[in-house]
Amino acid sequence: MTTAKSVGSDASIVLEGRITAYTAGPVWQAALDTLAKNPNRPVVVDAARLEHIDDVGIAFLFDLLRQQRPPTAKVEITNLSPGFAALVAGYDPKDFVQPPKVRQRIGVFEQMGRATEAQIAYAEQMVDFLGDCARAVWGAIRRPGSNRWGEILDIATEAGANAVPIVLLVGFLMGVIIAFQIGLVAQQFGAVIYVVNGVGVAMLRELGPLMTAIVVAGRTGAAFAAQIGTQKVNEEVNAITTFGVNPIQFLVLPRLIAATLVVPLLAILADVVGIFGGALVMVGFNIGFVQFYNQLLGAVSAGDFVIGIVKAAAFGLAIAVIGCERGLATGAGATSVGLSTTSAVVTSIVVIVVIDGIFTIFTS
Amino acid sequence: MDNASQTAERSDSAVARGGSAPPAISVRHLRMGYGERVLLDDASFDVQRGEIMVILGGSGCGKSSLMKNIIGLYQPMAGDILIAGKSIVNTRPAEKALLQRSLGVMYQSGALFGSLNVLENVRFPLDQFTDLGLDEKNLTSRMLLHQVEMAYAESLMPGELSGGMLKRAGIARAMALGCDILLLDEPSAGLDPITAANLDRTILNLRKGLGFTFIVVTHELQSIFAVADRAIMLDPVSRSIIAEGKPADLRDHNTDPRVRQFFNRQPDKAVQQAQG
Repeated sequence: MTTAKSVGSDASIVLEGRITAYTAGPVWQAALDTLAKNPNRPVVVDAARLEHIDDVGIAFLFDLLRQQRPPTAKVEITNLSPGFAALVAGYDPKDFVQPPKVRQRIGVFEQMGRATEAQIAYAEQMVDFLGDCARAVWGAIRRPGSNRWGEILDIATEAGANAVPIVLLVGFLMGVIIAFQIGLVAQQFGAVIYVVNGVGVAMLRELGPLMTAIVVAGRTGAAFAAQIGTQKVNEEVNAITTFGVNPIQFLVLPRLIAATLVVPLLAILADVVGIFGGALVMVGFNIGFVQFYNQLLGAVSAGDFVIGIVKAAAFGLAIAVIGCERGLATGAGATSVGLSTTSAVVTSIVVIVVIDGIFTIFTS
Repeated sequence: MDNASQTAERSDSAVARGGSAPPAISVRHLRMGYGERVLLDDASFDVQRGEIMVILGGSGCGKSSLMKNIIGLYQPMAGDILIAGKSIVNTRPAEKALLQRSLGVMYQSGALFGSLNVLENVRFPLDQFTDLGLDEKNLTSRMLLHQVEMAYAESLMPGELSGGMLKRAGIARAMALGCDILLLDEPSAGLDPITAANLDRTILNLRKGLGFTFIVVTHELQSIFAVADRAIMLDPVSRSIIAEGKPADLRDHNTDPRVRQFFNRQPDKAVQQAQG
């Protein structure tokens, strides 16, 4: 507790009890108010009954002493224990004259400019990285024995086999949803049988590869960025480089090969269960499994299947390239790993949609 | 005055300050570990108010785990830990949180929040738990940074700091709420000798000026002799405290070959020979 009073030409502040981080707020404010009310009078701070102060209490006493006041209106602290006095005296007011630097808030236009600059830098990095990857892939094709097939298998298992349940679920539901939505509309025109055509083409050419790629981007692309990003933060990438090993060949190539092989396989599973889901729904529209099968054979071609698979391979390659590149571009600290991971997923999904658009234009 | 007598004087004065109040920290018959693996069994010791106690031992003996048991991050397998007479093991979560807040902890890496700059990191506890104005919080935080010789780095982000700077900023943050019990996990590990000596001096200044109690986990011999009133040594094989006392006494008079090996930095073979 603190009290303030004016006696004759002097003002005084009496400090009592414990002044700590939890109690200093009102005391500090009251003392500053007393100083403000007595700008031209000396102020005596009586600390005789002060029992305990902590760091905040020391800051409080120091703040009172460092106030800019006329020479005839100085602040004096009396009866302060020598231990506390020594702590307060350990600070020089000159060290605290400059206010702390406030972090500048970035305006909208500056933010846009920085984002544009970052995207241009990212595009340059990506071109370099793609060049390095192309060289590594060419080397892997020329010398297949030099590839780390054990590592590739491990990555493929993690990215592929462990993703099967979620890909099956998403693929099945996509088939069900597409069949049901188109079926309801087609029923009004008596064209329910053509729903089979829609489900078949949509699953094989578009939804199977696309949904699989989005699942893999969220799962595996993020994992690639986080793994390599953490290795970068832990200086493992530096260690690889100083051993004379190419990090692209050591870290990136196995992931590129694994993802490019695994995503088409997952897409096939998604195609199969998606079509099966559609067939189940069509039973509700009085289209039996045999009729569905016969209609499907006439509606889709091997070309549709191949386009979907090639597209899935391209998606897998893109996800791995982006995930690994983001990982290698990670800065310092855990925050950077998080940013890289987020960036890998977002960029992958955008690029997947762009690639899908390009395929649609050139294969329609 | 030599190191031993300085340490003795510090220790005596620390105990005198403790008076009849309960020890700052009291560990009672503690058994701790991970899963089925016991790292330490039936360990008991007290840390008096104003004392600097060092927990030492080789890598993997459970020093940092013991510290995490003391601060309530890990649940012991058995036994009790009292902070100023109150159990942090057998208590409700709300009371445990209050006890934890009374402890200032510096983790090995400094554990600064990556999204805040150094000043904001040190101010963070004040922002959370006090009703001080922004100017007051800034002044307090800057003075804390000044104490650990980090004033020049207040606007830097953690990603821009060296290991020693992270640790010193971590100490400043640990002190922000006026905690008078500080636990430091490997404060001088990986630091250059000058920075390590500065850190040791900071610890001694804080004890001298504010009467802080310290538990310091370390295996840096120079730091142990510079700051410790008392040390306990953990042994991973016997899973027990194998020595307790003033560091100089342990070095000069302890007959346990493991203790002598540690203080004399002897390789394993020398101890095997000593054991016959």
